Amino acid sequence: MQEKDRTTALKYFADYYQTASFDIPYVEKREFGIGNWKKIDSRHLGFANEPDFRAYLVKNTPFFVSHSTAYYKYPDATPIDKKNWEKADLVFDLDFHSEGKYDVYSKLGQVKHDAIRLAEEFLISDFGISKKNIHYVFSGNRGYHIHVVEDDFATIGSDERREIADYIMGRGLDHIKFFDVKELRPKVFKIESGPRADESGYRGRFARAVIEMLQNKPSDISRTFSKEEVKNRFIEGIREGNWNKQPYKPNDLFERLRPIAERLALRSVDTDAGVTHDIKKLIRVPNSIHGDTGLIAKRVTVGDIEKFEPLHDAILPLKGTLKIKFTEDVPEISIHNETHGPFKKETENELPEAVGLFFVLRGSAIQV
Amino acid sequence: MDQLDFSLKYPFTATAKQALSESKLELNERIVELACERIKNAMREKKERTVERITIHESGKLEELAAFAASRMILGHMKNRFITNKFAVTESKRISAILETEDEKTVLEIGKELGMGEIFSSEKSGNGSETVKMKISTYLKFSPRALPYKLINRHLENGFVTISWQESIRLMEEAIRKRMMEIPIVKQPPEIIKKAVPLLIAEMPKQALPVTSFKEGDHPPCIEKLLDAARKHENLNHQARWYLAVYLLSIGLDIEKINAIYTNLPDYNERTTRYQLEHAKKRAYTVPSCASVTTYGFCVADCRIGNPINWHNRRDNNAGKR
Repeated sequence: MQEKDRTTALKYFADYYQTASFDIPYVEKREFGIGNWKKIDSRHLGFANEPDFRAYLVKNTPFFVSHSTAYYKYPDATPIDKKNWEKADLVFDLDFHSEGKYDVYSKLGQVKHDAIRLAEEFLISDFGISKKNIHYVFSGNRGYHIHVVEDDFATIGSDERREIADYIMGRGLDHIKFFDVKELRPKVFKIESGPRADESGYRGRFARAVIEMLQNKPSDISRTFSKEEVKNRFIEGIREGNWNKQPYKPNDLFERLRPIAERLALRSVDTDAGVTHDIKKLIRVPNSIHGDTGLIAKRVTVGDIEKFEPLHDAILPLKGTLKIKFTEDVPEISIHNETHGPFKKETENELPEAVGLFFVLRGSAIQV
Repeated sequence: MDQLDFSLKYPFTATAKQALSESKLELNERIVELACERIKNAMREKKERTVERITIHESGKLEELAAFAASRMILGHMKNRFITNKFAVTESKRISAILETEDEKTVLEIGKELGMGEIFSSEKSGNGSETVKMKISTYLKFSPRALPYKLINRHLENGFVTISWQESIRLMEEAIRKRMMEIPIVKQPPEIIKKAVPLLIAEMPKQALPVTSFKEGDHPPCIEKLLDAARKHENLNHQARWYLAVYLLSIGLDIEKINAIYTNLPDYNERTTRYQLEHAKKRAYTVPSCASVTTYGFCVADCRIGNPINWHNRRDNNAGKR
């Protein structure tokens, strides 16, 4: 990126930080890290309160700013062992890895859908986490973070967090274990008991998903279920926990239902980067700016998440225009309710400031 | 139950601490002697329990209780992971065996004392077997990292996991072991405590060292982690021991060397270990794939090698390129 572009971007960022509100729980207990050339190039910073933090950002505006998910007694102490770890938020990272630079933005809806499923189906229903302790945060680029600030789960260690991630990602899930099968006489089997739709956890989710599939696309399980009568009888059975009201032998049925079981887990939870199990990880500060996009890593409430649109709601509040020249071809993209592009390499355009800044920071254009 | 009898069975409880402090019993040579015996028994894994053989006299019981406190003082002064681990494992196994014979009320009380609190509520399940509900966070803290205990194989509902009565005692054993491992460092103990140290050092197994002959980086990270735990005399569950043995056998290590590694484990038993190792060798198990290792809960890095055994191919290839 040319120096002029960096200066312009940082000026926009500093203006935003003048009045930005972060509401970081226990700000004084967190370690902070900032980055200008990469995501984090210096860490071990500490702030006593939010005004101090804001003042720092206005004066030394960085491209990226993160804070620890952990709470420390001495957050700015080095090395890390001297910080005295007390507890840590439980954090999940959901994102979408795509081929092209811009593909991801049309997939953010899918990631949001998964984030909502993670919160509603897993964290609230299964793990009993209270709604008010769950914070959605748009990551500022290709996904969402979920921060859980709840004491019960704050003191668990890394292995335990890995266990939670494994559960959510469905590692080792075997739907056949949901059933008790009995051999009535040699080679004749009967399903003694199976999951019911009103159960919690994977069992209930599985039963409900099978009913939904029978209602919407029964032929994906078997053409037999296209017949209204056969299908309804099976649905009625599942509701009562009786999986024998259908014509297949247990093992045959289980194989036909396998694809449904495989879709139950949340695959977009990214555990590679260690966000969930690394209890000393730094994560983007909610409501700070992502330096690769100029988008705000916005904190979104449980009530607002359904209608939240990152490329509309997480845009910096800028009024003017920016003249830029494209350095590569860019596909059509919708930002702030307006469709922009496609743009050809070497063309010059005058675009709304936030839109121009977005292309510059993505490395697709330079200011002219 | 008599307060003193309760304290003897569960010497880590507040009741026990109170009983001891009320007794105004002073530390003396007899108590230290009993404490050393208790630690030595743990090191040799003697099944005969100090508590079972002691006198019915109150003074004898109090001495035994004081001996538990003294043994923690000795361990706090020695700071020897091996001995502390042995002690913690033996004591937790002793106590869990007692818990199995107790009524529900006592078990719940002990659970509460161990920080497993309010969570317990017992109910009869459909087939008549008893189950308890426990907070998921508590369950995660104290359950073994083994396949049957993975959350995915459990029924979760609204923050609670349902487990069998038997399993809840297994979890309490782990909680007790962890509690026993938390020993405050004693820098300036009384002279008679200091004197006990050389006697216990003399009891250390002599052949417990060959494991360090492994260079770090020789094995995939999951194996390194298990080896490191063994080096530190930490406890490994059955599945971890099995996986480690299968891996080490498949890279051609002989049973002697593998056995030497297992001597570091706090509940090492030569006969059982040899039998298991020979059995594993005879069956010629193949090393489980990375996917399986992940489901066991042992995976610690994203090596992208498919099977832990491929670590060596990759390393050799990299060496070739350099």
